[in-house]
Amino acid sequence: MGASEALGLERLLAERGFVPKPAGLALLSGPGAKLHVASALPRRETREAPFPTGLASIDLLLGGGLARGRLTELVGRRSSGRLSVVLSALASATSCGEAAALVDRGSHLDPQAALAAGVRLERLLWARPRRVKEALAATEMLLAAGFPMVAVDLGLPPLTGSAPEAAWVRLARAAEVGRAVLVLSTPYRLSGFAAGAVVKMAEPRFAWEGEGRSPVLLTGTSSRLYLERDLGGPARGTGILALRVYPAPRPEPREESRPALLRARA
Amino acid sequence: MLPARIACIVVPLFPLAARLRSEPGLAGAAVAVFEGNGNAARVVAATRPARRAGIQAGQTLPQARALLPDLLARGRDRESERAAQEALTEVADGFSPRVESADEGVVYFDAAGIPMPPLSVAPHPDPLPKGEREKDAEARLGRAVIAAVEKAGLPARFGIAASKLAARVAAGLPDSPTVVPEGEEARFLAPLPLARLAPVMELADTLERWGLRSIGELAKLPEGEVASRLGELGRELHATARGVDPRPLEPRLPSFDLSEGMELEWPLVSLEPFLFVGNAALERLVRRLESQGLACRRLEVGLKLDPEGYDARAVTLPAPTRDVKTLLTLTRLELEARPPGSPVVGFTFTAHPDRARQAQLALFGPAALSPDRLATTIARLVAMLGVERVGSPRAVDGHVPERFAVADYSPPPPPLERRAPRTGRGLLAIRVLRPPVEVTVEDRHPEPFDFAQGRLREGSRAFRPTSLQSTNGSEPEISGAVRVAAGPWNLEEGWWSAAPASRDYWDVELATGGLYRIYRDRASEKWYADGMYD
Repeated sequence: MGASEALGLERLLAERGFVPKPAGLALLSGPGAKLHVASALPRRETREAPFPTGLASIDLLLGGGLARGRLTELVGRRSSGRLSVVLSALASATSCGEAAALVDRGSHLDPQAALAAGVRLERLLWARPRRVKEALAATEMLLAAGFPMVAVDLGLPPLTGSAPEAAWVRLARAAEVGRAVLVLSTPYRLSGFAAGAVVKMAEPRFAWEGEGRSPVLLTGTSSRLYLERDLGGPARGTGILALRVYPAPRPEPREESRPALLRARA
Repeated sequence: MLPARIACIVVPLFPLAARLRSEPGLAGAAVAVFEGNGNAARVVAATRPARRAGIQAGQTLPQARALLPDLLARGRDRESERAAQEALTEVADGFSPRVESADEGVVYFDAAGIPMPPLSVAPHPDPLPKGEREKDAEARLGRAVIAAVEKAGLPARFGIAASKLAARVAAGLPDSPTVVPEGEEARFLAPLPLARLAPVMELADTLERWGLRSIGELAKLPEGEVASRLGELGRELHATARGVDPRPLEPRLPSFDLSEGMELEWPLVSLEPFLFVGNAALERLVRRLESQGLACRRLEVGLKLDPEGYDARAVTLPAPTRDVKTLLTLTRLELEARPPGSPVVGFTFTAHPDRARQAQLALFGPAALSPDRLATTIARLVAMLGVERVGSPRAVDGHVPERFAVADYSPPPPPLERRAPRTGRGLLAIRVLRPPVEVTVEDRHPEPFDFAQGRLREGSRAFRPTSLQSTNGSEPEISGAVRVAAGPWNLEEGWWSAAPASRDYWDVELATGGLYRIYRDRASEKWYADGMYD
C-alpha cells in the first residue's frame, strides 16, 4: 500500500469515528496510560548508605565510603597505603559493633597496629591462608556466614596461584546476596569486571623530619588516589591519601571549657 | 494417682533392621543376616524377598545359598545394633522422661500422664465415650512414635498396656499400634497363642503335650497345680498368662555421648572408601544430635584394626556444629596427618554433645552472626587452613613486633543500637613480614654504637645503610639503593631468657620504591627486614 492510499484510508476511518492511535508522550501521560518513562520505574536495587572507611579522601572518592553488596578493589604497589585503608575500614566496622573478617594471605597483620588504628580485635576474625585459591575459598565461606564486612589482603607479589575471572564474579555475587562490604587489597588489578569500584593508589611519597646531621624521623606518607572504576557514581576521580606515623596531638582544651577547679588551680 | 500405662516399641527382625539402617542401599534386595562363622553360620533374619524364596531363620549358609544363589549374606553387626538401639531409645526419650532400654530392638517407656499428640483432623461431632477417647489418644501416640522411629531409619511396632508384658505382647502384633485398655490385659492375652509369651523350650514342649494352645487356656488352670508340676518357672508363666506382671519399669540414666559405628565386611586400606562409609555414619549421628537440639563439640574416632588393635583419635571443634561436611573434613585431616598404620575393620564415631549456640536478634543494632553458621564456617576454615591460622588476633605484651597471639573467635553480642562509625585516625600501618626477610646491607660504618661505652662512636652519625639486597630465595624480594634511612633504635627484650632479642632498628626508603623497617640482630650480626610501611 502506497502513502497516498494509506492517507486516504486514515481519512476514511476518521470520518467514521475511529480515533487514531496516540503516539509518543501521549501514551505515557494520557488517560489510562500503561507505560512509564524508565526513570520513574522502581529500581531493583535501592542504594544503601555506603560504609565509611574513616579516611576522608577515600570516602570522598567513593561517594561516602565502601558500597554494601559490592566488591571494592584497592590496588597499590609497595608502601602505597592500602593496608592502612583496610585497617581503617575494619576499625570503622568493628567500632560500630559489626563483626568483620580479614583474610590475610601473607600473615601481615600486626595486632598492635590494628589496635592503634582503632580495630576492636575481639570482633575481628583473622584467617591466614597461604595461597590465593585458599584466600578465595575462605572469603566465600565468610560471606556465606553473614559477615557484614570481609577484607581480603592478598599481600605482596608474587601471588602464588592464579584465580579465574569467574571466581571474582562468584565473590561479588556472594557479597551482593549478603549485602556485605567486600574489600580486596591487591598489588595489581585482579578482579576484572567483577569489581564494583576500583581505587588505584600510586606515587607514594614519604615525609621525613630532620635533615643532614640531625636525626631523621619518618612522619608519614602520601599517595595519589585514582578512581579507575565505579559502577554507582562518577567514572573518574582523584585524591590524595595522607597517613601519619604518629597520631595527631589532641588540641589543648580551651580555657572556658576546662573545669572550674582546674582553672582555679592554674 | 495416675493409672500405670507402659508403652513398648519393638523393632521386628532387629539384627536385619540395624544392618539396613547402616547400609540403606540393601533395602529391597534379598538379604539375610547370619550369626556364626563359615558354613556353620545360621540365618537370624532375612528380608521379605529372601523369605519369599524360602529362606528361614536357623538355616545354614549353604542351605540358604542352595535356595537362593543371589542371596546377599551379611554377618551380625553388633556395632550397628548398638547404635540402632541407642537411636531407638533416643526416640523414646522424645516422648517420655522415663525410658527403659530392654532387649535388642525393644524399648519401654512410661506413658502415664504424658501429653498426647493432637488430632490432625477436626474431632468427630459426636464425642467418644471416656474409655474410647483415651484409647484413641493412645493410638495417636503410637502412630507418632512409629513415625519418629521410621524417621530414625528403623521399622517399628507399638503397644501400650498397664504392664510391661502386655505392652510387649501387644507391640509384637502385626496390626500396630495396639492399645490394651487398663484392666483388660487378661482378656487381651487370652485368645493369643502361647508362643507369644515366649516360654522356655522345655515348658513349651510340656504345655503342647498338655494340649494347651492359647494363653487363656493356660490361665484357666489352677495356679497351684501348674506350680507343682512346672516349678517356679511355670508359676511365673501362669501369672503372666493372667496378665499379672509385677516387674516395674527400670528407667535408664540418659547417656551424654552419642555414637555411631559399623563393623566392615572387609578391611579397608585406603582413606576414600573409609570416608564414604564414615559419611553415612556421621549423617546418622548428626540426625540424632539434631533430634535432641544438640551439636557436636568434640568428635572421637575409634578404629578397629586388622588383625588386632584399636586406634582412637579426638577431633576438637572450635564451636559446636552439626555440619557433616565439616566433621568429615576434620576426620580426613586427622587421619591424613596420622594414618592408623593397619587396615581398618570397624569404626565408631562418638560425639560429645553441647548445646548449639543461640543468638538474640536486635531490632535497632547490627545483626548478630548466626552462631551455628559461624561455628560451621570456623570449623571449615580450620579444616582448610589449620587451627593456628584462624581466630581472633591478640596483641602480646612485649617489644618484639612480630609477636602475636590468636584467640578463639567468639565476638561479643552487638550493641542494642548501631553506633556511628568513628573517624579514622589516618595512621600508617606496618605490613609485618613473617618470617623476617634476611637482607644484605651495605653501610658506611661497621659498628656505629660502642656498647661498652654506651654511646655513639666518633663520626658514627655518618653511618647509614646504603643499599639492601634480600638473600637468594627470600620472598618478597627486596633490593635497591637506600634513599633515606632513619635510625638506629635499640630494642632489647628477654635478656634473662635463652633467646633474648637485641636489635638495632632502621626505617629505610629505597630508591626502587618501598619503605621498610629493617634491623640488625646483634647476636648473629645479620640484617633482616621485618616490616614494610603500607
